[in-house]
Amino acid sequence: MKRIAIPVLAALLASCTPKAPSSYSNLDKVPSVFPDYTDITIPANIAPMNFSIDEQADEYITVFSTSSASTTVKGRKVRVPESKWRKLTAGSRITVQVYGRSGKQWSAYAPFSMSVSDDIDPYISYRIIPISVESYEKLSIRQRNITNFREKVIFSNTMVQNNEQGTCINCHHYKNWETDNMMFHVRHYKGGTVLVLDGKLNKVNMKTDSTISAGVYPSWHPTHDYIALSNNWTHQSIHAASHDKLEVIDENNDIILYETRTNTVSVIENDSSELECYPAWSADGRTLYYVSAHYEGPFGPGRESQMFLDKEKLHFNLYSKSFDPDTRVWGKKQLVYDASAVDSSMTWPRVSPDGRWMVCCISNYGIFPLDQIASDYIVFDLSDHSYRYADELNSPFAESFHCWSSNGKWFMFSTRREDAVHTRLYFSHIDENGHFSKPFALPQRDPEFNREFLNAFNIGEFMKEPVHITPRQFASFISSTDATPSKYESKRGE
Amino acid sequence: MHMSFSILNKTKGLSEKLFRLLPYILALLLWAALSIYGQYYLKKVEDLSLFLFDSLYLKEAAQTPGGLLGAMGSFLTQFLYYPWLGALIWTITLLSVYQLTVKAFDIPKRLMSLAVIPAALLVIANMSLGYGVYIMREPDHFFAPSLGYLAALIPLFTFRHVRSLWGRILFLTIWTAAGYPVLGMFAFLGTVSASLTALTQPGSLRKERFTLFASGIILVLVIPLIVYSFYTSYRMADSWIMGLPVISEDAWTRVMRAPYQLALLFIPVMATVSHRLKADGKSTLLQASVLTVSVLSVWIFWFKDDNFHIELAMSESVDRMEWQKVVDIYDKAVKSHSKSDERAYKARSKSLKDVTNRDEIADITERYRSRFFEPTRTMIIYRDMALLKLNRALEQSFTMKDGGRPQKSRCLIPMAYQAGKQIYLHYGLINLCYRWCQEDLIEHDWSYGTLKYMAMHSIIMGESEFAYKYLNKLRKTIFYRRWAREQTPYSLDSSLMAASEPYKSILPYMCFEDRMVNDMVKCETFLMRHYTEDEPPHATPEYDRAALLWAMRMQNIPLFWNRLYLYINSNKVVELPRSVQEAALLYSKLEKPPFEIPFSKQVTDSYDAFNRFIKSNPIRNMEESAYPYYSRFGKTFFYYYYFIRNLQTY
Repeated sequence: MKRIAIPVLAALLASCTPKAPSSYSNLDKVPSVFPDYTDITIPANIAPMNFSIDEQADEYITVFSTSSASTTVKGRKVRVPESKWRKLTAGSRITVQVYGRSGKQWSAYAPFSMSVSDDIDPYISYRIIPISVESYEKLSIRQRNITNFREKVIFSNTMVQNNEQGTCINCHHYKNWETDNMMFHVRHYKGGTVLVLDGKLNKVNMKTDSTISAGVYPSWHPTHDYIALSNNWTHQSIHAASHDKLEVIDENNDIILYETRTNTVSVIENDSSELECYPAWSADGRTLYYVSAHYEGPFGPGRESQMFLDKEKLHFNLYSKSFDPDTRVWGKKQLVYDASAVDSSMTWPRVSPDGRWMVCCISNYGIFPLDQIASDYIVFDLSDHSYRYADELNSPFAESFHCWSSNGKWFMFSTRREDAVHTRLYFSHIDENGHFSKPFALPQRDPEFNREFLNAFNIGEFMKEPVHITPRQFASFISSTDATPSKYESKRGE
Repeated sequence: MHMSFSILNKTKGLSEKLFRLLPYILALLLWAALSIYGQYYLKKVEDLSLFLFDSLYLKEAAQTPGGLLGAMGSFLTQFLYYPWLGALIWTITLLSVYQLTVKAFDIPKRLMSLAVIPAALLVIANMSLGYGVYIMREPDHFFAPSLGYLAALIPLFTFRHVRSLWGRILFLTIWTAAGYPVLGMFAFLGTVSASLTALTQPGSLRKERFTLFASGIILVLVIPLIVYSFYTSYRMADSWIMGLPVISEDAWTRVMRAPYQLALLFIPVMATVSHRLKADGKSTLLQASVLTVSVLSVWIFWFKDDNFHIELAMSESVDRMEWQKVVDIYDKAVKSHSKSDERAYKARSKSLKDVTNRDEIADITERYRSRFFEPTRTMIIYRDMALLKLNRALEQSFTMKDGGRPQKSRCLIPMAYQAGKQIYLHYGLINLCYRWCQEDLIEHDWSYGTLKYMAMHSIIMGESEFAYKYLNKLRKTIFYRRWAREQTPYSLDSSLMAASEPYKSILPYMCFEDRMVNDMVKCETFLMRHYTEDEPPHATPEYDRAALLWAMRMQNIPLFWNRLYLYINSNKVVELPRSVQEAALLYSKLEKPPFEIPFSKQVTDSYDAFNRFIKSNPIRNMEESAYPYYSRFGKTFFYYYYFIRNLQTY
């Protein structure tokens, strides 16, 4: 019995395993696939790069091969089993050959490749948000193991808010990519900044009598217990007829320093004629980069509407300030890039962990690149302060929030390149010369996911490890704890 | 004696048969009422819901306890696309509620009418909502509670076949644990009801009954606490109401939710008392009372406001871009109320006769106000929009009845929530259409209506990938896949839009320059400002017609001359529409016109007649004078200028 069963089973399995066609005609084009994973560089530990074939055919067969392994997948949706994918990424280069059958004729598209490179941090987190204008109902911060497809909620506002009082959550951030020290803001109902300090939950209110708002965009100091944050007094308005649908302005901006151990806030910059925002520490924590626009519009009730009228005059320059983390003494502000001189606006500086590179968003005007189609990336070489447009990353649509992996080899960024409206997360490898590889979309189990999913990804952050606090623990803590008011301290030196 | 017994028995038999038959007759009547009178309401319910044949949709539904029941509700809601069909399915569901209630509780034949109560409450719950439908959070609310009710009866039936204590406990454990993720609180309802039946019905040992009851209660208390760790979509405190329709929490909306809760409460109540219902005895009066009260309650609580239903009918025609039908619906509504208006006027005049005290006059006027037909602002905006699309707005808008009756609703639904996406799309303010689609999405989650308008918005903006997303979703529906297929060519080639509806009638309104806007949730005020404050350098004839219409509505004389000048030039007007001439004539008497305007004899005669009428019938009380003036001059701009004032928009 056994002697018959084993060959029969083997024959059955063999008949189920797709095989590349033996005869075919060659096509002189690389197949159109979604997401575009043709000729990219991928991390060795990334999840299977599943894709859909956007070519017309009756049947599809895709062969992945390296020098030591090969896998064949059948169907328009190309999904590689994880175990087989691991064998492929053990090689240095994966060649992908797509065949399509129309009628009885098989055709082979020109092959494309995926170069396998450095490992990437295994986890990322992001906020999932409907593409709403003013309201919000369901927001969640989620973590994804990018070595596979497992996604978990870190916290969702639906676990706290009720039908009368809404809760907004935003700006999750980690100290040195580790989750024992992390934060995110909770706004409105049960509001406060949730701080995890050495694994212990805290909730603080950073708004003091001497500052204009609670903390907003954070940057955690790499070596000391500080977080630099912006203060923002934000308004939104809608373009009546433009591809840029939404416009965000800040009526007022300052930047503050929050000391986590003492729960104290001090002002870093609060010039009333300057709008300072987006603080970002250098790799050694001895310089703070930020952006600022000069604006002398009226104060008071008419300021908001005047600022919307003046929106195209709001040009944010890039500045830096030296900082001694031990004494907490600040140096004078220094202009790094005069964006206003070229009628541009610079936002969201982020320095690579080796301190060599800094990437910022650059757009025509304003503070919120997420909603500006023209927003692109500019990359600075901090070793010689040269800069260039990162054309290999930029698309005709908005590029916005971005961050570096802990080893500095990978760059994750938010882009609307797929459909102009829904923000998606993309990755790119950076080499020692500061050259970025062709970006690729976060792989999904269903390759059509990005086309199907009607919410946006927002604020992608790398993590070395998952967040260990459960959503239930966060919810219980946020619901039951009042925010502790932060103390205000005056700034030291300059 | 024998004969009288026989007659008595025959009568009893007849009445029993009648009472058994009546629920079916009532169901038939309900179906007819829903299909005819409630058809536009049902269509709106469908428009605000969504079911997709899509794994992502089901995956998202499964993220909340009761979400899959909701998906089943949404699956059935899609058939309201054809109101008669959806109404038929719902009526059958309600009949199932009736029949299975009878069976689950072994209700004796003589008391079968009791089983009509939950069905009647479910009807009230759905049909009393009125404007509340716009703030219902769950698009599945129409079917899901009825399905949940039916599901909650399952444990009662199962208990008949499982007699052993441990068998029942095992069943309840599996039912509660497995049922909660699918059915939400309806699983608990079944558990509690079955436990109550076991507790109250005689036949088993007291200890066993208490053990079973206690097990049921413990399961209901403990299981949500355990499974909460697997969910991140709700508050723990809401664990026991998951699956119930959610309306924003204020006092009024809690009342709106009460019929659902009462219908569901019926199950545990019956589970407690059903064993006491005796099979014999007199019950005709009780049966008749139950049925009468049920029917009367449905009638009383059914939201019958005329304006609400007219708005819904107009809204549906706007969705279909049947502009003439929009105007016809409005016209028919005005005409159908003309006699009742006349009666109301006569009755009010009689009441006001010899009354001189101001407060008393105001009091009487207020009392009679609701007896006159007056449109809501949403109806007027729909009508004017349709007239603009038909290029008859300046000819007809001011010849039709105007007004601003507030919504008959305890919770005011702003026009932007109700109709924002439609109005803004057709007026070419498409990013505001996008904005209100987004707000809809926040309020109700995705719906067929929102997906359609988002797709049209993206097509107009030339955002083909964005449009693909929405059209692709609609391709996964039964009733909108054809529409999605039809729109696909426009998403791929924007040059096709110029020749096809709805795009060709929207594009001419998009001639304005981009600027920052905020409608502050006041649709009408925003449109008025948009058309009167902005003066696009390349305005189209369509735009100038709309601008003149809004200028006439503003009753601002310098603005009128300005917009009239632009309108004459861009539309190459030879003869001004009558209402425009009337406005020009009236204003020229108040202020010297900046340019020469020829008036037709009809217009000057009408103006003279109006002046003569004013002299002989001086206006003392605007409201009291309105009717006689309307009867004679209701189709003129003169009437509009003097009597249509201080309207409240929303």
